[in-house]
Amino acid sequence: MKILLTTKAGPRGQLRKTVTGEWLRVGRNAACEIHLPDPRVTLDHGMIVNRDGLVYLEGESGSQNITRKTVRSVRLKVGEPIEVGPYRIEAQAPPAGFDGALVIELAHPLPQATGFRSRDLTLASLGLTKRWAAWLLGLAVLVAFLVIPAGRVLDLPWRDTAQVAGTGDRFWNPGALILAHQPIQARCASCHEVAFEHVKDRACLECHSAIGHHVGAGMKPASLFEGARCATCHRDHKGVKATHRDDDKLCIDCHRDLPSRAKDARAANTSDFATSHPPFRLSLPTATGLKRVRQGDGPIVEMSNLTFPHSVHLDARGVRSPLQGRMKLECRSCHQPDASRRAFEPVSMRKHCQECHALQFEPAVTTREVPHGKPAEAVTVIEEFYANLALKGVPDSFQKAFGVPGEGLLRRVGEPSAADRQNALALAGRKAKQVSTELFEVRVCKTCHSIERAGDDWKVAPVRANNTWMPHARFDHKSHQQAKCANCHAVAQSKEASDVAMPTIKACRECHGGSRPAEGKVTSNCMQCHGFHDPAHAWDPNFKPRAGAKVAGAP
Amino acid sequence: MKHYSILEYARFRWFKVAIATCVLSAAVYLWHDVAPKPYGGSWLGYTLGSIGAALILWLLYYGVRKRRYRSTSGTVQGWLSAHVYLGAALVVIVTLHTGFELGWNVHTLAYVLMLVVVFSGMWGVFVYLRVPRAMTQNLGDETLEALLLRIADVDREMREKALSLPDRLFVLVDRSVSGGRLGGSLLRLVSGRDPACPTAAAVHAWPSIAKSLKGEASRLDKEVYGLLLQKHQLLERARRDLRHKAVLDLWLYFHVPLAFMLLAALVAHVVSVFIYW
Repeated sequence: MKILLTTKAGPRGQLRKTVTGEWLRVGRNAACEIHLPDPRVTLDHGMIVNRDGLVYLEGESGSQNITRKTVRSVRLKVGEPIEVGPYRIEAQAPPAGFDGALVIELAHPLPQATGFRSRDLTLASLGLTKRWAAWLLGLAVLVAFLVIPAGRVLDLPWRDTAQVAGTGDRFWNPGALILAHQPIQARCASCHEVAFEHVKDRACLECHSAIGHHVGAGMKPASLFEGARCATCHRDHKGVKATHRDDDKLCIDCHRDLPSRAKDARAANTSDFATSHPPFRLSLPTATGLKRVRQGDGPIVEMSNLTFPHSVHLDARGVRSPLQGRMKLECRSCHQPDASRRAFEPVSMRKHCQECHALQFEPAVTTREVPHGKPAEAVTVIEEFYANLALKGVPDSFQKAFGVPGEGLLRRVGEPSAADRQNALALAGRKAKQVSTELFEVRVCKTCHSIERAGDDWKVAPVRANNTWMPHARFDHKSHQQAKCANCHAVAQSKEASDVAMPTIKACRECHGGSRPAEGKVTSNCMQCHGFHDPAHAWDPNFKPRAGAKVAGAP
Repeated sequence: MKHYSILEYARFRWFKVAIATCVLSAAVYLWHDVAPKPYGGSWLGYTLGSIGAALILWLLYYGVRKRRYRSTSGTVQGWLSAHVYLGAALVVIVTLHTGFELGWNVHTLAYVLMLVVVFSGMWGVFVYLRVPRAMTQNLGDETLEALLLRIADVDREMREKALSLPDRLFVLVDRSVSGGRLGGSLLRLVSGRDPACPTAAAVHAWPSIAKSLKGEASRLDKEVYGLLLQKHQLLERARRDLRHKAVLDLWLYFHVPLAFMLLAALVAHVVSVFIYW
């Protein structure tokens, strides 16, 4: 069909156009043949069809398909206008060549106001603001957590506001310090001395002045550990327990191939206790100082200059004690834990031997003993004893000691003659010499010591009994007390003092595994037995020069 | 043409990028061995931290880019898709950067703000996926403006017709016409309800009062009551629409200011870390 459309616009103006189609759509949609541009009209408001004359159909409000359910159907007759929303549509007599003619007029123009205040209708209109909130929150955080604390730390003009504001660099602390560092936790500058620079070793050594280096000066630690700082291994703010890692990575980084890192190093390569740890090295005292000997490189002989068979002392039937009769000795009879209970007190003649091995020189007459440790004094005591006996001895003692009847010179009646005196002195001197020789060379000293005669005197070979075999190992006897001594130290059959009864790595590996957990083994990393800082090597700090301004409060 | 949401943009390109970034970060984190425990100051920590900080700045720049209508660097749709997915990936990257080391400090403040901003953004995505459909269902072809105009029409007609009704009924109509309000408070906008709506009160009170009317008044009463019901329904639709718009807006009132708060906390975090290096 073909329709002549007249749209009235304003009091006088009007627009004519011709539309054609099977049907004519009416609505706000610009695609509608009869376009009604008003917000009160829906997008597809209705349609006009030709059913023996024009009929206006309107669907349900909001329905997209108006042909599905028609709620209004009006036949358009000349002189009977209909209202579509605010518009009036009126049919007119069609001119020639047209199926119909329609006049469209906006009968109810939009009122000026709808009665509702548009400024109520959105969040923005309520005065809520994103921009001001953003500025406010951002600046608050910046001031509280950066500007004010930095003022004090960097000594800026507003340095005193931190005290007033109650905020400070404590909010910069990223995590708990180890317990030992917590007393200085509030003073960050104790360690962080220079702003925007790493913590210097100097700050650590302020307190840890006695810390040892890893290697001696001979190995040039400054170049060996170039670039390394205390903080390379020690990181604080990582919890209260430790500042360094407890696995082997840091150690085996170098020790798996030591010569490539330090060509002078004498330690063997290692990367794991269970698989690649070298045999232990023992420290042996020798005439020329301490010697380090590796187990397995040949027989190891202790040169203590003593004679001591463990087998006799640990005899299952016991030993004869002059005071207590037969008694059974145990390891702890002589090897007593020191105060730390990790190691043992050195064996001492006076405490552990002398009760049985008394140093009596004339037991028939006296229980007196010679002093231990100084041969010349022992000889003097013997000489004095027999001289005194020759002078004042009662007949019984005199005879027992000298083997001839008589009594002390001063006990005889009358003034002794010069010849008597000489005789008495000679008697005492001879006896003393004889007893001394017997004491040193046969009966007493010789039992344990290596004795050498030097003219009229005796020389006792210096005793070098070892007490610390593995000075670098952190071995703790206390934490092994559930084991029997003999599990590690097989001395029951040892007949010589030169026998060494230190356990080999094989014995340790029976219980200790490597750094990876293994069934039935104690997981053992490097740090379990070794330390990094060797107190024997003085720290040679290669201080970096201090640069820039110090943080306020830094030492 | 099928509509593709920003989530599906370019066949999930940014989703894939985000997932790849997260998986890669997590893999390196697991492989990375740092003593005594993982933290932001290891090389991986610095790397993840730098990526995270750069991402935050780039995500913030989206607010600028979306206003640059003449920019030709990608489409805003693509930018938003990347904004959403990379913003979500930020949670993983920054969490790994922390090494799960949290406390009462400016560093954790920045981390928590980052989480709040990202989750408010996710809420925004959720809202944008749901609410427009509900808006269309509520309004159909119409607009809020059209609803308001129709309410104005109903008001005028109702007032004219109610002039001949008894005072008790006219008062109800008059209150509905002069005392009606839409929005005006955060609660009313977001809830889409107005417990003090005079139209609802009139609809509720009308039948019991109108029972006694007879003849012409009774016919008029039915017409006015019909108009009242129509207005009530229109008001409800308008309020629902306002609620939809408020919900579409509301998350941004958290997302944007908190993002700037995060920026400030990030600056404080980075500068303080390097002051006490």
